[in-house]
Amino acid sequence: MAGTKPPPSTRNISYLLSPISKLLSQESVTLLPISLTKLNPDEALRYMGTPPEKAGADLRALVEVCAREVLAASRPRWAYRVFSLSFEDGGVRLNCGLLLPGQDLKRHLKDCRQAAVFCATLSAQVDALIRRAESGDMLRALALDCCAAAAVEEVCNQIEGGLQSQFPGCYFPFRYSPGYGDLPLTLQGPLLNLLDAPRKVGLCASATHILTPRKSVTAILGIADHPIQTNTRSCVGCPARDGCQYRKSGGHCGIS
Amino acid sequence: MEFLELLQTGRPLLLDGGMGTMLQAKGLPVGAAPELTALEHPEWLLDIHRAYVEAGSQILYANTFGANREKLSHCGKTVEEIVPAAVALAKEAAGDHALVALDIGPTGQLLEPTGLLDFETAVDIFGQVVRAGAAAGADLIAIETMTDLQEARAALLAAKENSSLPVLVTMTYEATGRTFLGCSPAAAALTLEGMGADAIGVNCSLGPREMPPLVEELLQWTTLPIVLKPNAGLPHPDGSGYDITPEEFAHSLAQLTELGVQVFGGCCGTTPAYISLLKQALEGRRVKRTPANIPAAVCSGMQVVPIDRVRVIGERINPTGKKRMKEALKAGDVDYMLGQALEQTEAGADILDVNVGLPEIDEAEMMVRTVKALQGVTEAPLQLDSTQPAVLERALRVYCGKAIVNSVNGEEATLDAILPLVKKYGAAVVGLTLDEGGIPKSAQKRLEIAQKILDKALSYGIRREDVYIDCLTLTVSAEPEGAVQTLEALGRVKRELGLKTVLGVSNISFGLPARPLVNQNFLTMAMSAGLDLPILNPNMDAMMAAVRCFHLLTNVDENARAFIAAYGNAQVSTSITTSGANAAPAPASGGKRDLSEIVITGLKGEAGPATKALLESREPMDIVDHILIPALDQVGADFEANRVFLPQLIQSAGAAQAAFEVIRDTLAQKEGGSVSRGTIVLATVKGDIHDIGKNIVKVLLENYGYTVIDLGRDVPPEAVVEAARKHQAPLVGLSALMTTTLKSMAETIQALHGAGLPCKIMVGGAVLTPDYAQQIHADFYAKDAKESVDIAKRVIG
Repeated sequence: MAGTKPPPSTRNISYLLSPISKLLSQESVTLLPISLTKLNPDEALRYMGTPPEKAGADLRALVEVCAREVLAASRPRWAYRVFSLSFEDGGVRLNCGLLLPGQDLKRHLKDCRQAAVFCATLSAQVDALIRRAESGDMLRALALDCCAAAAVEEVCNQIEGGLQSQFPGCYFPFRYSPGYGDLPLTLQGPLLNLLDAPRKVGLCASATHILTPRKSVTAILGIADHPIQTNTRSCVGCPARDGCQYRKSGGHCGIS
Repeated sequence: MEFLELLQTGRPLLLDGGMGTMLQAKGLPVGAAPELTALEHPEWLLDIHRAYVEAGSQILYANTFGANREKLSHCGKTVEEIVPAAVALAKEAAGDHALVALDIGPTGQLLEPTGLLDFETAVDIFGQVVRAGAAAGADLIAIETMTDLQEARAALLAAKENSSLPVLVTMTYEATGRTFLGCSPAAAALTLEGMGADAIGVNCSLGPREMPPLVEELLQWTTLPIVLKPNAGLPHPDGSGYDITPEEFAHSLAQLTELGVQVFGGCCGTTPAYISLLKQALEGRRVKRTPANIPAAVCSGMQVVPIDRVRVIGERINPTGKKRMKEALKAGDVDYMLGQALEQTEAGADILDVNVGLPEIDEAEMMVRTVKALQGVTEAPLQLDSTQPAVLERALRVYCGKAIVNSVNGEEATLDAILPLVKKYGAAVVGLTLDEGGIPKSAQKRLEIAQKILDKALSYGIRREDVYIDCLTLTVSAEPEGAVQTLEALGRVKRELGLKTVLGVSNISFGLPARPLVNQNFLTMAMSAGLDLPILNPNMDAMMAAVRCFHLLTNVDENARAFIAAYGNAQVSTSITTSGANAAPAPASGGKRDLSEIVITGLKGEAGPATKALLESREPMDIVDHILIPALDQVGADFEANRVFLPQLIQSAGAAQAAFEVIRDTLAQKEGGSVSRGTIVLATVKGDIHDIGKNIVKVLLENYGYTVIDLGRDVPPEAVVEAARKHQAPLVGLSALMTTTLKSMAETIQALHGAGLPCKIMVGGAVLTPDYAQQIHADFYAKDAKESVDIAKRVIG
């Protein structure tokens, strides 16, 4: 990410333009297609441990081809819900009763009265594509894997853009996921549950709290009704930052 | 009346409507577990069930959708507490007016290969629910909202193995006509009917208007009653509900009796009002089901292959006569077989034969691993090939789809051991025309054995279309009459018994020169005689060419499309060189590069030929020690110095791998020849599936000449200990990418130490730190793939 986020896409979000009150009182989770037609090849290169400016033409061509394959295999699906927040000693509580434990998210959301919880997946077909490549050509497998990671980012950016346009005049800290700071990965299952994600988008968490299909994200987007000090995602709190390939090439892993 | 009797009346049958929708209206909070309602608010369930009975439901789904131990693990209640309570409430509301179904939804976790849940564990999870439900008096089992055919199979198998109740199975499809995991109605129908479901169909995700194409596809592939339990239309964009009215729901659904749908109900968004109107709309309607001929076909979870033309079965995954494959099996190297699989499907194989029988290995274990791994990378259906019924059963259990069992023969004992498995798991079966007396010489006798196999299969309830007969190829140089008899028997089996035929063709030419010519012509003759399923090496273009020509000349290949696609740009040579060898491809570019340069630049395609050329003048180990390793070292040093990056490192490793492949083949020809510097066991620890980093490490280590025993991902500590002991590995590498699975890594190290093994342990992975590695008593921390090679050099040399 390195602090420069692409502008939120404005395509295909007309469906989101409904009154907030209706959204907040909705009974079921919204489930709509987004349009994944591109991904950022520089981001894929960074995930591959290569600074984009040092990538040769061959590698760029490989990434282009793999990006097309990933886009073709992806069936992006997502779901979200908006909750109001209350703050307590142990963390932030959603109005459905779920506590998001820890101090880091609490600090991150301190100016927000609401938050959208969302999840997104590229689908099992992308996992299968990468698996197939892994039993043949590892470089291609790595390129596909990293393009898929970039594609998930693109999907999240679009969702975030769509959600932001839902709340005109509001302000948003960056989206926050389990695994960032002290927000535990054990939240993956409960968050997916809130969104009925296993049933509605085919996204599940394993007993070890890994999202499956693999190329998936859960996130919390705070919503503040007054200007806030914006932070960017950073590696400061990450235990792996010293040896990190992504950092070495000027990027962010998307995990922490 | 019981469920099966109700189905037999041929009249429409009415299920209930949505449960979640109704519970939310009662006040169930978002994210709460609906299953707890049976204990916490039994009156809600009684109200809802009663409303459906009043609306006319003949079958109520008990509120047990997620009542399995995986989903209940967080709420402190057990399956044995929830299921009987929920079933009892439904029965109380049903009285004598309705039957009660034990409702079984997904576990909430994805199964392998997309997720981590093991198939047998899933069967066990569902088995517990089934036992509780059957004991509580459910009248039938409704497996629903499945998106993974493998999970539906697990639930169906659990239902069959733990009860004698009838089973209805519905899956959830998207507008594309596939489930989230890519399963089609056709594959679901073939597989679930084969495994003994009593009715199948569709529930959730779409509305009645989207049902007809799904129903039409199902009807082509099943004779079972069709069930529809759709949502109240498509969800409104703003999430405020669904897009059709109860009237329209009832009207459009009831019309589908015309297509042949018999069982109706509603899913998300539907209420007793919908069911009541549906009942009215179904009044006086008859189910117009035209009996269909279901064609012979096999499938994986993703792909159906109808045997409506010649379908090629690839024979390469079989150790017979293949040194390299035997080596791979002994080392437990499943990747080698995945490579063979992909090569064959790219060459045009429709189905892959899988035989991993080798006396020194645990065949059943290897078969299970191979079948699972193959189904993770290829959509081609598999032919499970073993002489051991126990191996076949293990393979059939984990195989997702409708497989072919290879094989039975005319011996009673074999038929009685294997045909029940074929029936239970819904497979097709190859019958070899031999018996206690060996292979009969005459066509007549072989036909008689075929008849016997068919009769026996039918007596076990196996469909006629699922019996494929192999009339057996004899070597023509030894049995000059053999080819003629085989072809005659094949033709008669086809005409007189009306069965599909299968034949391994390559043996025909054994002991003769110009074998490809003999094989190709025999194949053509066999196809003319009626061969449906040749078993051959699809990498031999002569064989695939014969099949393509046959389809062209019999007008199966309409407008010669497939033929032109294959040969439109090709220079075809019909000559055969006296050496019979394939010419090596010409060097890709002008000027000769040396092997060192090829590896450093990462030119995979040139590495093999260059190594071959070098082997004429230098010893294999000399090439390894003085060319390949120094070249890789240089790339490694450049990587450390940030002069090259991960992609180049992998590319060089790929080129070195191609060189090693040639050297390994050369050494495999020599007795006892081995290129290995020592054995390293690699695993991504239990609970973790992020294994791309481990796979990159594997490629690098192999290229430094180490033998890598790759245990894959999600590997339990015991398996790592077992492998380290068995292979006496001096070094074990473990990877984990998630903070939550670092615990597994610590446990694995503890297990290795506990077992008193002398091996060193290196660890790596994105969230690992040197401090943490030390804390969990790893011997080495590898910050990247390159460093793992440095560690291997220090430990092993």
